[in-house]
Amino acid sequence: MTTTNSPPPTTPASSSTGGTSKAGDASKEKGVGKIVYNTMRSVPTWVLWILVILWTTPTIGLFVNSFRDRDMQRTSAFWTLFRGNFDGLTLNNYREIFGTEADGGFWDGIINSFAIAIPATVIPIAIAAFAAYAFAWIEFRGREWLFIITVSLLAIPNQVALIPLLQLFSNGAHVTLPGLDKTVTLVPDVGLVGTSNAVWLTHTAFAMPFAIFLLHNYLSSLPKDIFEAARIDGADHFTIFWRLVLPLSVPVLAAFAIFQFLWTYNDYLIAITMLGSAPSEWPATIKIATLSGEFGLKENVLTAGAFVQTVVPLAVFFSLQRYFVRGILAGAVKG
Amino acid sequence: MKSRKLWLILASLFSLALIAAACGSDDDSSSDTTTTAAPTDTAAPASTSMAPASTMAPTTTMAPTAQAPAVDWRSMDLSGTTVRVFGPESTEEEQGSMEDTLSVFAERTGINIEYAGARDFSDQINIQAQAGNPPDIAVFPQPGKAADFFRDELILPLPENIAAAAQANWPAAWNQFGITDGTQHSIPTKSDLKSLVWYLPARFEENGYVVPETWADFKALVTQMISDGNTPLCVGIESGPATGWTFTDWIEDLMLRFQPASFYDQWVNHEVPFDSPEVQEVWQEVLDLWNTEGAVFASGGSIASTPFGANGDPLVEGDCMMHRQASFFAAFMPDGTPYADGSEGAVDVFYFPSLNTTDRPALVAGTLVSAFRDAPEVWAVMEYMSTAEYANERQKSQQRRNGGSLSGFLSAAIGQDMDNYLPLEQSFINILATANVARFDASDLMPAAVGAGTFWTDGTSAVTGEKTVAEATADIEASWP
Amino acid sequence: MDRLISTLIRIVLAVGVSGVMFVVLNYLFSQATKRWRLFNVIVGAFIGLLYFGILDGNRLLGDVGPTLIFWPIIGAVAGGIVFGVLSEIEEPRLRFATAAGSMAAIGIIQGAAWRSDFLPSLDWGTAIAWTLITGVIFGALGLAIRQDFFRAGRWALIGLAIGWMLGAYGGADFGSGNRGESYLAAIIGLALVGVCLGMSKIPDNAGRIKINAGSRKYIFLAPALAFVVLGLLIPLARTIYLSLLTREEDGRFNDLVWNGLENYGFIFTNENSLDFSDWGNFFGSSLVWWGAGLLVLSLVVVLVQWLRSPDGRPRASGGSISPFVIAWFLIAMAVFATLRGTIINNLWWVFFVSIMATVLGLVIAVLADRTRMESVAKSLIFMPMAISFVGASIIWRYMYIARPPNKPQTGVFNSIWVGIGELSTTDSWTGILAIAVLIGVIAVLLLLAGISWRAKAKNMALSSLLGAGLVGYLFYRLIGPGIGGFKTRTILVDGQEVTQTIPDTILFLQNIPFNNLWLMIILIWIQTGFAMVIFSAAIKAVPGEFIEAAKVDGATETQIFWRVIIPQIATTIGVVVTTLIVLVMKVYDIVKVMTNGNFGTQVLASDMWQRAFTESNFGLGSALAVVLFISVLPIMFYNIRRMQKLET
Repeated sequence: MTTTNSPPPTTPASSSTGGTSKAGDASKEKGVGKIVYNTMRSVPTWVLWILVILWTTPTIGLFVNSFRDRDMQRTSAFWTLFRGNFDGLTLNNYREIFGTEADGGFWDGIINSFAIAIPATVIPIAIAAFAAYAFAWIEFRGREWLFIITVSLLAIPNQVALIPLLQLFSNGAHVTLPGLDKTVTLVPDVGLVGTSNAVWLTHTAFAMPFAIFLLHNYLSSLPKDIFEAARIDGADHFTIFWRLVLPLSVPVLAAFAIFQFLWTYNDYLIAITMLGSAPSEWPATIKIATLSGEFGLKENVLTAGAFVQTVVPLAVFFSLQRYFVRGILAGAVKG
Repeated sequence: MKSRKLWLILASLFSLALIAAACGSDDDSSSDTTTTAAPTDTAAPASTSMAPASTMAPTTTMAPTAQAPAVDWRSMDLSGTTVRVFGPESTEEEQGSMEDTLSVFAERTGINIEYAGARDFSDQINIQAQAGNPPDIAVFPQPGKAADFFRDELILPLPENIAAAAQANWPAAWNQFGITDGTQHSIPTKSDLKSLVWYLPARFEENGYVVPETWADFKALVTQMISDGNTPLCVGIESGPATGWTFTDWIEDLMLRFQPASFYDQWVNHEVPFDSPEVQEVWQEVLDLWNTEGAVFASGGSIASTPFGANGDPLVEGDCMMHRQASFFAAFMPDGTPYADGSEGAVDVFYFPSLNTTDRPALVAGTLVSAFRDAPEVWAVMEYMSTAEYANERQKSQQRRNGGSLSGFLSAAIGQDMDNYLPLEQSFINILATANVARFDASDLMPAAVGAGTFWTDGTSAVTGEKTVAEATADIEASWP
Repeated sequence: MDRLISTLIRIVLAVGVSGVMFVVLNYLFSQATKRWRLFNVIVGAFIGLLYFGILDGNRLLGDVGPTLIFWPIIGAVAGGIVFGVLSEIEEPRLRFATAAGSMAAIGIIQGAAWRSDFLPSLDWGTAIAWTLITGVIFGALGLAIRQDFFRAGRWALIGLAIGWMLGAYGGADFGSGNRGESYLAAIIGLALVGVCLGMSKIPDNAGRIKINAGSRKYIFLAPALAFVVLGLLIPLARTIYLSLLTREEDGRFNDLVWNGLENYGFIFTNENSLDFSDWGNFFGSSLVWWGAGLLVLSLVVVLVQWLRSPDGRPRASGGSISPFVIAWFLIAMAVFATLRGTIINNLWWVFFVSIMATVLGLVIAVLADRTRMESVAKSLIFMPMAISFVGASIIWRYMYIARPPNKPQTGVFNSIWVGIGELSTTDSWTGILAIAVLIGVIAVLLLLAGISWRAKAKNMALSSLLGAGLVGYLFYRLIGPGIGGFKTRTILVDGQEVTQTIPDTILFLQNIPFNNLWLMIILIWIQTGFAMVIFSAAIKAVPGEFIEAAKVDGATETQIFWRVIIPQIATTIGVVVTTLIVLVMKVYDIVKVMTNGNFGTQVLASDMWQRAFTESNFGLGSALAVVLFISVLPIMFYNIRRMQKLET
């Protein structure tokens, strides 16, 4: 098994120790004592892997069941497979998903998912980064309160915004002036409803509070000196943002991108609301969910669907994880 | 300070522009697609065309009396138009056969018909209609919701000729589900029969059981099975967001048997309180039966946590003898189960018995189609969906897509080709035809707060014993909007 | 393939256009200091484009050529010229005349462009009344804010212009007027704006720099705020308004009627949302007694340490704090379990899930940091986040499912539970093996305790002893009264009573109140990945110098964790906790799919969905949403303020 490679050899690195003991005494012990103590030193690693196993068990169950037909899923536990129960093994669940012909089939669904998730990830990151920068490093009156109000909107249950936004996208926005009985068109109906644009616009709006919150927390913790130095060099805010802040905030941008991509890619509710009667634009989530029908009729399909769906977010996670770079601020901080 | 000024000017200009734009331009979205449309010549809003509907006094006659003017779509060229249909049927088989069936009509008329099926249709249609983005035609599984939509002037009354076609294509009892205050707004397109008990004849024969003819026989059979060491019933009412609906089906089916149909109607329309003694009696009857020691096999550990679809395997494997469930339950049976072909493991159904052999009430369900847009192509599709031809095509396609087994589709349309149906399905239609009383699933007729709300949840509470029958029915009564 | 390409083009376009707009805007304002006239021309052109664009968009201007492009371009050209000219004229009177005159000229363009079948007939009374009233209001406002008569006068002018536009067009009867009135309406309004423009001075160099610098906050904030206002603030206002309405008597939902605060009254008086009737059972809960025991234990530890501390002062230590914290945690859980209802459920969710997900996320992030196979471990923990919720709900149903006793269990938890039950009731070799294993574990733990004691690692020794005690209890249960999922029942076989041992399952999703806990575990399973990723990014950002310095000073890993890493990521912990609280408060789909709120598991968001979207009762649904929103506000407010203070 792996061991932690960082603790100094003299540290009993159990999370429960106060760490004040003189471990050196113990390492002088002979025989059993030494073995036990060395085992204890790798306790953190053991705890980690036990947690990982606990976390993975449901997923393994799902994975095994995705290769079994509906009747087997219902009547026999997934771990019987490891005891040699190969009854009812089938690829039909996957076949059903990849073989669907409805509304352009599954692959169109994946393309639609990308058409939603990519703009819904990139654009909120950009917009929120601007705003977070302004909140963190541009002085203006009422900044703190504007920030609090913006972030408080995180607490709005998104469902309440579905009908107003759908109205906006399907009919535009019109205001009737009080007392004058005249209606003004603020936003015309540009036919957004039933297109992926409506979906990513909605995602962008919903993502704002959290994105600003997360990015602001990171940006405001950047050392002040680098900004002051840049200001002295005559750089304006745009230059500072572009040249300094963006490169330094890669880890947090990567972290947010992972989540935003995941949420938008796996979203069902917003997509079905905005694309309800335009099935050719449906993302993969809706395609898979509708395949399973009402009342769990073909729930077995969902097990395979869950895995097919998971591949893309996991790939995103893997590719962005390497941007969690240690010591990205190393050069920027002096002592 | 200077920048502040600049922005003030900008802001004021902006608001000036908005104000200057004050005009009669209303939210008629069609004017945006055609550049020639002027704000003044907007099409008459749909609401004006339905004026007669809401002002008509309620009538007691079955036949609709107030319809919109006829729309002679046959004499028009409808090719190139588009009709969007939105419904709850979404599996590959259902959606596929729906598309097959509609494409037959689409090819004939040149109308481009798009069908979208979503499993959370019932909630989605509320959102879409409220936000002003409804489909052209919705397939409602709940007549109560269609009636609500009609009262709220969201769906349109049928033109005279379409209503007449519906009357000709479907029995009056079925058309009645689409009539509110004397105006027909929806057309039945699919029928489900709920008063059925699934069983294995071979197993009955082996144990010397006979199909019960009356409710008393049924209860006697249950007692006998228990004393023989067999478990008579499979029951499970878990169904995700719809948990409890199987329980309500039992209540409704017995209500039709214990009380006259007129009482059932009063109950549905809240003319008798939900906690009246008659209703409580039926609840008690069901719960007593279910709570009898050894009467119920629940494959999920308890009735309330057993998915209703998970009752097929236990029935086939012999964990229980009978399962009361609707005609569409075949889709939940294990793959490859033979039906009514006399073989050893064949599954058959018998009619859920009534109190005596002369009364034959049937609890039914199904879907109705309603139109949101007043256009000839929409009415053309609506009319097509009411025809026997639609039923024939749909049955053929769905049977083919289900590999020749039970299709899960059933229709009571007049003039269908019965040869399309398997013998078991023909027996369903036979029960539908010979029933002297047919009533729609009450929870689909009641307001959603009850029918898709407390009737399910408080029913579930009564099943788990969390609430007594009196408490549960009183809570439902209190929740009636 | 075509679809893929067209989608790609769409994505690039969407992202590209947004990016270019931002860069161009920044570039534009950076020109204010260098090329003042160019800057003015562009701003003027933009305003003209917008103004005529909106007029044309509302179809108020006559059709010339390609309808929606012609007039906005004219507007842009005119606006550009006017602003460009004004940027060069400094002499006040000439400037005034030019501004008023050229704006009036634009008014002439507008008047001429007006659609001929839509000419306004002015209602002079309304127009003048609106002009004066709005002017006075603006003037008063200006005086109140700027405290300066000259500036207040400018405010009043703007008010007059807006009031005229409102009154003239708002009061007009369209279609019955003539071209002259069309000219009048436009010229007067725009000339007033021109007067206002003409009274301003051209900013000097410092002023231009200010424009440049001051514009940035708007450019940086505007896109985000636009989305926030349109997507969140307006819907919020609408929701608050709807929450005061209800359906009409006949149940129709199209026309809502005023209902005051009754929806809120219903929520707080309804025993489905708040039910205190069971509080008497509080002391019957074993959680309370465990909690009380731990409290006593922590007091004892404090007391002992106090007595033995060299300076005679009480001191907090891991040994006293951890039982203390756990004790209150258990007691809080007992409170939530006794008081029932939707709101209590929500609080319980927030309490349990936020704490557990944060702690587990932090622990995993720290443990995984710098280990080999770090990315594998993190990916596996992250995996539940990536699985779509429909998939997750299915697998958790297979985790919790119970089957009848005579069937093999397919649920993981019930299978283990029944398995343990079989172990403790069986006489076969598996039972003996289990006993042997337990004895072995106890022996190892005792040995460890002894070694640690000799090594003076007292905490380690104590926890080993505690562990040995727990395993010992398990051992006692196994050989004594039994443990796990089994029950005995007496049946009659051939007239004789026979006692049987049969498996007994737990209905995880149905047994009130702890079914709530089992649902929460699903969300913890999902959200730990979230906390872990953010903590992981934050920990990596802790400057390595700090850690190296601490190591040089002889700090242990544990000390580095508490004294270096935790303070460095304190605001990140704040972010994660706040986000989790809000996220958990809004929990909806788990409850909806797993139990639909049956068996006492309803929560606010799921109730809201049911009321608003299933039952079309928008009044009550909105009121629930507002309650949900407001109940999180204090926590959010507190957290954000604290973080803001931490930063400064």
